[in-house]
Amino acid sequence: MYFDLDEDQRMLRDLVRRLLADECPPSVVRAAWPGGEVSLLEPVWRKLAGIGVPGLLVDETLGGTGLDETYMVALLEQTGHAGLPLPTVATVAVAAPLLAASPDRAELLADVLSGQTLIGCQLEASSTDGTVLVPHGQLVSAAIVITPRGLGLVSMAAARPVASMDGARRLAQVDLRAAVPLHVDDEALDLAVARATVGTAAELIGLSRRMLAITVEYVCQRTQFGVPVGGFQAIKHQLADALLAIEFAGPAVRRAGYSLATGDANAEREVSAAKALASEAATSVARTTIQCHGAIAYTTEYDHHLFAKRAWALAQEYGNAAAHRQRLAGLLGLRTDHPSRTIQKVAP
Amino acid sequence: MNIVVCVKQVPDTATERKLKSSDSTLDREAVDGLMNELDEYAVEEALRIKEAHGGEVTILTMGPSTAADTIRKALSMGADKAVHLSDDALHGSDSLQTSFAIQQVLGRTGFDLVILGSESTDARTGVLAAMLAERLGVSQVTLANKVEIDGSTIRIQRQTDYGFDRVEASLPAVVSVVEKINEPRYPSFKGIMAAKKKPVDAPSLADLGIDAAQVGLAGSATTVVDFAEAPPRAKGQIVTDEGDGGSKIADFLASKKFV
Repeated sequence: MYFDLDEDQRMLRDLVRRLLADECPPSVVRAAWPGGEVSLLEPVWRKLAGIGVPGLLVDETLGGTGLDETYMVALLEQTGHAGLPLPTVATVAVAAPLLAASPDRAELLADVLSGQTLIGCQLEASSTDGTVLVPHGQLVSAAIVITPRGLGLVSMAAARPVASMDGARRLAQVDLRAAVPLHVDDEALDLAVARATVGTAAELIGLSRRMLAITVEYVCQRTQFGVPVGGFQAIKHQLADALLAIEFAGPAVRRAGYSLATGDANAEREVSAAKALASEAATSVARTTIQCHGAIAYTTEYDHHLFAKRAWALAQEYGNAAAHRQRLAGLLGLRTDHPSRTIQKVAP
Repeated sequence: MNIVVCVKQVPDTATERKLKSSDSTLDREAVDGLMNELDEYAVEEALRIKEAHGGEVTILTMGPSTAADTIRKALSMGADKAVHLSDDALHGSDSLQTSFAIQQVLGRTGFDLVILGSESTDARTGVLAAMLAERLGVSQVTLANKVEIDGSTIRIQRQTDYGFDRVEASLPAVVSVVEKINEPRYPSFKGIMAAKKKPVDAPSLADLGIDAAQVGLAGSATTVVDFAEAPPRAKGQIVTDEGDGGSKIADFLASKKFV
């Protein structure tokens, strides 16, 4: 197994990296926070749609690019790195492929692929009170949800905003009774969940790298006792451990993308390993990098929190590390209870 | 319309660029190469002209094998095909020799319009467009911030200190463009995948009728005699405001003849 990107994937990564460096600086991430200039977000998404981001996994005959999950991972590492405050995983991994798979949604698919319409999703465990929380709920016009009657599409027009830790990924609560059915088979839904799980893991890797980069820059500048604090072993070793966690998780995420792309029979194991390792890495990198900053990383004026809060939110999404470790144990035959298809949150 | 865009792979301007002590040429291996940023505007303008008037866009580059990345990028933006002139004998060619070699390639591809960026960010001579036009015996319309094609006529607008020059010429012609002319597009994923399948012609010097002695460092009309590292930037002067900060700054500016 070769973990590095091939030439095509590198070109795609470099393109996305450059586009996001130009179009999505931290000021744009802040624009998605409450009171921010939301109008700054639309041109970013238009440009991403222009290069083919939403339709990455959609067949070329349906207007997509027809690429596979190895490219998806390369893309989403970069959107994570930028802290892109838009439902990229929901669009690329879930909405566009599911709309492409459902026979009567061609018009909506075209709008999603062109970047005109943003669709969110919530594919986690069914709710007890008939409502679900949709990430980026204030930005998306509709969301793909799991209802007691199956997969559905629900308008976000009547959704209720909910206080959220990551202000650039705000949740909105929507009533499942308002959903209309979306006709796709179980296999397509399983694949969407697996892709979204790996995609979220890829964003966590990108977020972790960003937090580490911000911190390395800071500790090289901040001086104490006349030298940069990064020269002290107390800092150096912590950041080396952070890098180690990222470098350990990164290949597992690439591997999971490769397994999905090649139809590996054991893909589910790889998916769970990837999300468990990426969630743990991002959570520990967030913690370590905040500590290495000192008090400044606690402030909202400093950019670090934009990435740390996203990391904490995504570490819980599509199953946290504990849930995926349990699931992996089940898939390896180490547990007798059968792993459920939809991934439940488990307390760590 | 047969449009040829000349592009160059240059060291990333964000990195530290060095000359080699052995032959005083740029050390291209020490840094990442990428498409000369100013050439992206030339590629974009060529694509826009093609979209409006039809035709074909050919990318032409002279440089080592690593310049294939720059060709691929231009093709992924939407150009149709490319010519990559690469030969060790070309190493160290100056502008005169480069314009000669490119002239030979253009003899092979044919052209109605040749588009260049305003200059390369490494050599920064900015003379290639003029040299090419002279060698080809066609009009040169340089430093355009607007280009219009009307039949066999090209009209450009050039920013000057006092307004605009409007220059008109008949095709075939050589045009160079400045960065104000457009906003280069990002390549699309489809473009990246399609670029692999586009033809890249790699003629040898012999194919072009170039004698190795006509190009390269040894026969160059210009020579780098010596070079030295730029001195480190001196520390700035901090003016403490004790109620007279304004006049201190004014004195400083006056001493530098700014006021």
